Amino acid sequence: MSWWKSLRSQETTHSRLLGVLLLTLLTLAITFILPPVADSELAGGAAIAIVILGLSWLTGWSGQISLGNSGFMAVGAYAAGIWAHHHATTPLVFTFVLAIIIGGISGLIIAIPSTRLHGPYLAGMTLAFSAAVTPLAQNFTSVTGGEGGIFLNSLVTPKWFAHFFSGQNAAINANAQWTADLAVVTAGVAFFFMANLFHSRSGRAMRLVRDNDVAAELMGVNLSRTRTMAFVVSAAFAGLGGALYSLLEATVRPETFPLTLSITLLTLMVLGGIGTLSGAVIGGIIFSFSANLVAHVNSLTGVNPTSNLGANMQGIIFGVLLILTMLFAPRGLVSVATPLRRLFRTRPQKTQPEQVH
Amino acid sequence: MSAFLSSAFMHNIFGGLAQGVIYSLVALSLVIIWQSTHVLNFAQGAMAMFATYIGMSEIDRGVGYWWCVIISVVVGMALGGATERVLIRPLYGKPEINPIVVMVGFLGVLEALAAAIWTSTTRNITEPFSQIYFQSNGHLVFLSSFVIFQIVLAIGIMLFMAGLFRFTKLGLQLRASALAPEVSRLLGVRVSRMLTIGWILSAGVGSIAAVIIASGSFGLFPTNMDGIFVASFIAAAVGGLESPIGAVAGGLIIGLVEQFILAYWSPNVAPLSGIIILVIVLMIRPQGLFTKHTTRRV
Repeated sequence: MSWWKSLRSQETTHSRLLGVLLLTLLTLAITFILPPVADSELAGGAAIAIVILGLSWLTGWSGQISLGNSGFMAVGAYAAGIWAHHHATTPLVFTFVLAIIIGGISGLIIAIPSTRLHGPYLAGMTLAFSAAVTPLAQNFTSVTGGEGGIFLNSLVTPKWFAHFFSGQNAAINANAQWTADLAVVTAGVAFFFMANLFHSRSGRAMRLVRDNDVAAELMGVNLSRTRTMAFVVSAAFAGLGGALYSLLEATVRPETFPLTLSITLLTLMVLGGIGTLSGAVIGGIIFSFSANLVAHVNSLTGVNPTSNLGANMQGIIFGVLLILTMLFAPRGLVSVATPLRRLFRTRPQKTQPEQVH
Repeated sequence: MSAFLSSAFMHNIFGGLAQGVIYSLVALSLVIIWQSTHVLNFAQGAMAMFATYIGMSEIDRGVGYWWCVIISVVVGMALGGATERVLIRPLYGKPEINPIVVMVGFLGVLEALAAAIWTSTTRNITEPFSQIYFQSNGHLVFLSSFVIFQIVLAIGIMLFMAGLFRFTKLGLQLRASALAPEVSRLLGVRVSRMLTIGWILSAGVGSIAAVIIASGSFGLFPTNMDGIFVASFIAAAVGGLESPIGAVAGGLIIGLVEQFILAYWSPNVAPLSGIIILVIVLMIRPQGLFTKHTTRRV
């Protein structure tokens, strides 16, 4: 079980467990207040937050960058979708585990040649991967269902949960909220795992590799294994997020995972703050709001949402935000929150390693 | 002879070469930027696409095709220079992922803007050359005047760039500031101006590739350079990213291999052909086929 020991945090896990648990419970409580439409937007944000977290871990903690996480999302989603299509009775947890494993394996396949690479090579390699995934899914029609994709059965609301709902559309409302709660709990588990990973032996080795790979090698860290591990974990998170996202959409189809999704993921990660849990949460929240946000901008500027400009507003806004954040606030929105947190801090602050961004 | 020229094999050779020279051009433009500023420009294809849209929209106002080509290339070069000054210059000395992220953002902005302004439907430009294959003694020869134009123009641009870098004072200054910026500065080369000129030249080469692509059967649409960028990046990486000759050779290799996988194996796996080549090359020679030195920057 040495692999587990290397993933498990050496420090106490209680505070992190408490933090993630509180956030999960808070979000669950919010789903009870929100209308069903907002619930499903929140669920999408939770799924994307998992993917952002995986990407954030890769970029923030190992200094590598991937433009292929939309591809890994697709791999996870198709793995889950194809399995669920043939074995409809499989419990959801096993389907998710399958998505994680297959996502991780696809990451491993890409990582083996890529870990010899750095920076631009790796980014280009992963871009080539995610560019290939959509046409592949369209070509192998017999397995993937081609353009139309695979339809998934929507989740069944358990009886005890449905009892909370009454009145008009009770069944629909109950189902929307059950789905959202499930997504939030899944995200909570993923965040807890990552919180531990950040502070585990592997996490610290990863930071050392990022900051000074020569020093890391001298201290006995296996560079290529560490980089490969970072990549595999990132791909596994993307696989889980992709499977969850497709489950929410009740279909797995190629057009869910275009190349621009990788740009969106990158934007959300950078906006929130690279390499932090709260950054991924912020990214997920922004994703949930993005449709409303774009509609708001359109109405503020008087742009017709069905016009060409209105339809492409999201791409323009996200791209501009990504450039501006990287140029002027490369540590993201999290860095805005830091001075606020200092106001409430009574204990002397722990010294933290300098972040390289 | 004409029977051989009209065989399926030659069809694939010509098709592969025609596609390959485009990859070579874009790969060459990536290498020029990489050599001068150590940035892999992910927006290279999108910048060229945007410039082509601006130039080719003039056709609607009755401007002749060749003037539109010139406008596209000039706009592309201006865009390249402006990008270096505004987006890339603040990031020198920052971690190498920062310029990547910024250029990915720029790619997203340009593609969304192009779709907003010119819609995402494919625009076919009635090119000045026929795409109908030649005939010789009743056999089809798989070359059209457009394919010949495409290959000749691409080779002409490559030779021009080679001459510029090899035989002119500007070329010497460009190479010097890429190789040893500090020394060049001491010797009176305006290094920062050279970096901008490198971006301008590179964007010009990219725009010519985009103009050729838009004039062919592929047409012009906001994401039309995505696949070409990916293939060209692979071409440049296969060549080693440092070597212009490697980029050109890499482009031709990718073009031919892609065509042959499409023809003889399965069109279904064709999207993977670039990755397969890249993985094989990187396993055997991680530094690329055409890089001489193997030292690694720490």
